[in-house]
Amino acid sequence: MRFRKILVVGLDGLEPSILERLMDAGELPNFAHLREVGCFTRVATTTPAQTPVAWSTFSTGLNPGGHGIFDFIRRDPRTYLPDLGLNRHEQKNPFVPPRAVNSRRGEPVWSILSAAGVPSTILRCPCSYPPDPLRGRMLAGMGVPDIRGGLGTSTFATADSRVVPGESENLIRLRVDSDRVVRSHLIGPRNPRDRSDIRFEFELHPGSQPDSAILRSAATPGELNLRVGHWSPWLKVTFKIGLLQSARGMVRVYLRRYNPERDEVELLVSPVNFDPAAPLFPISSPGEYARELENAVETYFTTGMVEDHAGLSNGRLTEAAFLDQCAQVWDEREAMMLHELDRFEEGLFFCLFDTSDRVQHMFWRYLEPDHPANRDHPVDPSLHSAVDDQYRRADAVVGRAHEFVDDQTLLLVLSDHGFNSFRRGVDLNAWLHQQGLLALRPDIKPGESAGDLLQGVDWSRTSAYALGLGGIYLNLKGREAQGIVEPEEADNLSAWIARGLAGLPDPEQGGAIAVRRVSPRAEIYHGPFAMESPDLVVQFNAGYRVGWSTSLGGIAARVFEDNTKLWAGDHIIDPRLVPGALFSHHPLYLGGSGRGPGLVDLAPTILAGLGVPVPPAMEGSPLR
Amino acid sequence: MMKILILGLDCAAPEILLEDERLVNIRRLMSAGCYGSLESVIPPITVPAWMCMSTSQDPGSLGVYGFRNRTDHSYGGLGIVNSRSIQELAIWDQVAREGGKSVLIGVPPGYPPRKVNGIAVGCFLTPDTTKDSYTSPPTVAHEIERLVGEYPVDVKGFRTDDKSWLRDQIVAMSRKQFTVVRHYLQNFDWSYFHFVEIGLDRIHHGFWSHHDPTHVQHDPNSPFKNVVRDYYLHLDDEIGRTLELLSDDTVVLVVSDHGARKLDGGFCVNEWLVQQGLLTLNRYPEQVTPFAKLDVDWSQTSVWSEGGYYARVFLNVKGREPQGVIEPADYERFRDEVKARLEATTDPEGCPLGTLVFKPEEIYRQVRNVAPDLIVHFGALAWRSIGGVGYPTVHVQENDTGPDDCNHAQHGAFILAAPESPLSGRIEGARLLDIAPTLLDLGGYDIPTTMQGRSLAASSNQSALGPHFGRGFTARGEALVRDRLSGLGYIG
Repeated sequence: MRFRKILVVGLDGLEPSILERLMDAGELPNFAHLREVGCFTRVATTTPAQTPVAWSTFSTGLNPGGHGIFDFIRRDPRTYLPDLGLNRHEQKNPFVPPRAVNSRRGEPVWSILSAAGVPSTILRCPCSYPPDPLRGRMLAGMGVPDIRGGLGTSTFATADSRVVPGESENLIRLRVDSDRVVRSHLIGPRNPRDRSDIRFEFELHPGSQPDSAILRSAATPGELNLRVGHWSPWLKVTFKIGLLQSARGMVRVYLRRYNPERDEVELLVSPVNFDPAAPLFPISSPGEYARELENAVETYFTTGMVEDHAGLSNGRLTEAAFLDQCAQVWDEREAMMLHELDRFEEGLFFCLFDTSDRVQHMFWRYLEPDHPANRDHPVDPSLHSAVDDQYRRADAVVGRAHEFVDDQTLLLVLSDHGFNSFRRGVDLNAWLHQQGLLALRPDIKPGESAGDLLQGVDWSRTSAYALGLGGIYLNLKGREAQGIVEPEEADNLSAWIARGLAGLPDPEQGGAIAVRRVSPRAEIYHGPFAMESPDLVVQFNAGYRVGWSTSLGGIAARVFEDNTKLWAGDHIIDPRLVPGALFSHHPLYLGGSGRGPGLVDLAPTILAGLGVPVPPAMEGSPLR
Repeated sequence: MMKILILGLDCAAPEILLEDERLVNIRRLMSAGCYGSLESVIPPITVPAWMCMSTSQDPGSLGVYGFRNRTDHSYGGLGIVNSRSIQELAIWDQVAREGGKSVLIGVPPGYPPRKVNGIAVGCFLTPDTTKDSYTSPPTVAHEIERLVGEYPVDVKGFRTDDKSWLRDQIVAMSRKQFTVVRHYLQNFDWSYFHFVEIGLDRIHHGFWSHHDPTHVQHDPNSPFKNVVRDYYLHLDDEIGRTLELLSDDTVVLVVSDHGARKLDGGFCVNEWLVQQGLLTLNRYPEQVTPFAKLDVDWSQTSVWSEGGYYARVFLNVKGREPQGVIEPADYERFRDEVKARLEATTDPEGCPLGTLVFKPEEIYRQVRNVAPDLIVHFGALAWRSIGGVGYPTVHVQENDTGPDDCNHAQHGAFILAAPESPLSGRIEGARLLDIAPTLLDLGGYDIPTTMQGRSLAASSNQSALGPHFGRGFTARGEALVRDRLSGLGYIG
């Protein structure tokens, strides 16, 4: 069947079993309608089941070996340092700006469509930074950094001298001057000359009402009204970099406490987002589209991961304030979608809503009263429906999109992976250390003293190490800087690790199986970039995940630990346990591939549906 | 040895090039290196200024005082300069002595194409690129034409009133030239690369009155009022795309040979000389007539002049010129008198113009070939020199060679950046003759002792540059890794 328009509404992390429960309860009328008139199916996600990996397979029709995104985190074998796996910034020489380079390779479906003369509108697809040139419009999503080049670092400013910095946050000490005015600053980009932080000064004056304050600065607006317990509107700031250059950014401010008489002033400042009117690096294609969109739908968050889970985890935000921010993101994304659907004539339309993923990470504990996270964190009865509410929001979005469907339109609603519980962490480096595969330098013991970033490792006696969200790397001679594993031994060592780790029992949980499988690279990846993947990928059982310490190169004292963090749900487990969901308002024939439908089939489905030949390199098959 | 790249922007004005914040690539380069205004030579004219820069020799030492120079002491002739007029040791010669190859594109005078160890592409003095050989070796022309089709070295007839045609022609020329530049940057093994973009000079001359609100002919509603600024944005974009092709071992110089300034009008120098009784005509023309076509009574003439952006004033000296009238013994006294009278010239209201008058031997280390007796900048170049007679006033608004909006300013601009360069920030007092020794110095070459300028790096006591802008986004290191991954969530 040929269509003039294909609309894909991406809903990150919607779990099929929750969809079923709520549809059956009559809570999701729009999803249920699609299930009834079209189709609803589970859709195989990628290995690993991570947002950037999964959406890259969606967009390219290739397994990760074909597009090169294997994990949020990659590592540099020359330094053993981790880095963000989605993109990098490179600078060819000192005279040109650094340039963002997408780590997603392969040819995305919108490029193939563009070459065939078919336009696309792509909003916030992960791993679309820097944005691809295309016929149509693209706003980049996950991967767009904040102004410091990271995924997003908030700043907590407090007059309380006892506060220490939490995870992923900058801390600023405030002082209330005798005139009740607080004089402080925002933290901007690093100064290129000396790496110091470039600042933007502001003053906080008492507002017209108690519990309110006015932020005065050279920003726009010059006076920003703040109210305790509320997020402010956008504040647009220009950071001067030396005499010659400047960088524009913008923040929203959450006033947490304000009582200057008693020296109680606390505020949380969002990461400095690129200003869509003048981003430090291009975030849209064509470049001016980001500004046009701002003019059409008001200013919006530009960083790739917006919702401030760290602010929640650090106790700076209440759960309600976090959900407030999540609602803002839903609203602005929905406004973008409607604005673009309203003028969308033909081709491929894609819009991703990823707030559903973040809320499930942070509120999964409400679905499981006995979750370890609930031990340290009080439960607010009014938030029991926080996760279900995300599905209801998603349902409303599907309903809005459905209004734009006509008889030449195919509507697809897709989640990239499901969701599950994260109750127990498995520290892979601790396990490798116990097995004698990872050695620490003298005087360093697993645990605190080993630090992170693999700092404590004695590479001359280490043959394997874990980094990222489930990957294990061999310390391979000729590839790693201080490799000791001879290339001809690599396969045997990989097989040995896979056998030893698969079926790993959790002694504190009655011998429950924590690791279902361990897949050597050759079993799961093929294609031109497969050699960039971890040598082994660990497939955890439901309820387990890689431990917090391993992901950034720590070596914990124990292999197993309870996950007591608010981040209590996750999906980076055996992908067979967390398939995504696919809805269509049209019946789809799902048996073409001889296996169940997978994310890899979506790009061929889109091409076939728009009458564009599917390139032979694509691995999936059209779902017709 | 470092590679050396010069992107020459003929006529680029420091007040725009160094001040417009929208020129992001220029500003990044400024931030990575040093910059400032650059004192040009006298006269600040494309020929000889680019060759003065390349050789670090003043115009007198080159024996080239402008596009046209007297070839002997007759009244007849001015010869037009070509590439063979100047053979002094240039940077590319010094590079060739070390075995390095050079690419010269549009470096004036660049016709006939200069024989270099490498590639030379002719400048705007090339009569016709469809007929004349304008490259060395000649096969380069075929490669260029495969790349961009017909290759323009100038906009023919740029003194025109058809402004939108002019703008489009200049931009199209510039795009083609930058395409060629980028091609050879990537596909030729060069040590020295020197490009001169002439389009900016043409834009200034064609559109300065539309750009400059203080220009006497400025129309605030002109549809062309942004053409000058937009052209700088165009150049910034082209330069940004060019810089991307460089490796880390390159010294980069963006430079102009002179600046630009508004023209208040034309000063009819020969008309003035007639009025002063220093120039006698057998017949005053009925219409405006170029000097070469005037019927001059040489036996009654003691002074005449050539026009242009500045005036070259000649004395009719007995025993030197065929019908000389000034006694050689009286030469200096008489020249001083003429100089004083020129310096006292006024505008139409009688206010002094502030005219600058130079004696060649006082401003040049050597005075070779046939120099003017006096070099005159009317109103310090606020007024152009009009050579024709028949206006019959001294001050005019029209120009005898076609519409022109601006004159050259004494100061151009430079931006110089190199990895590990000790030079950073704004530098005061840099001179055009300092460029060649500075580039050779930063490039690791010997500086010929004949060069008249000094290396800016030699006099610098600034410390080495820190990390350049943007490295914060690219450099590795643990703190940056933490910055990058901060906020990922999954890693706790």
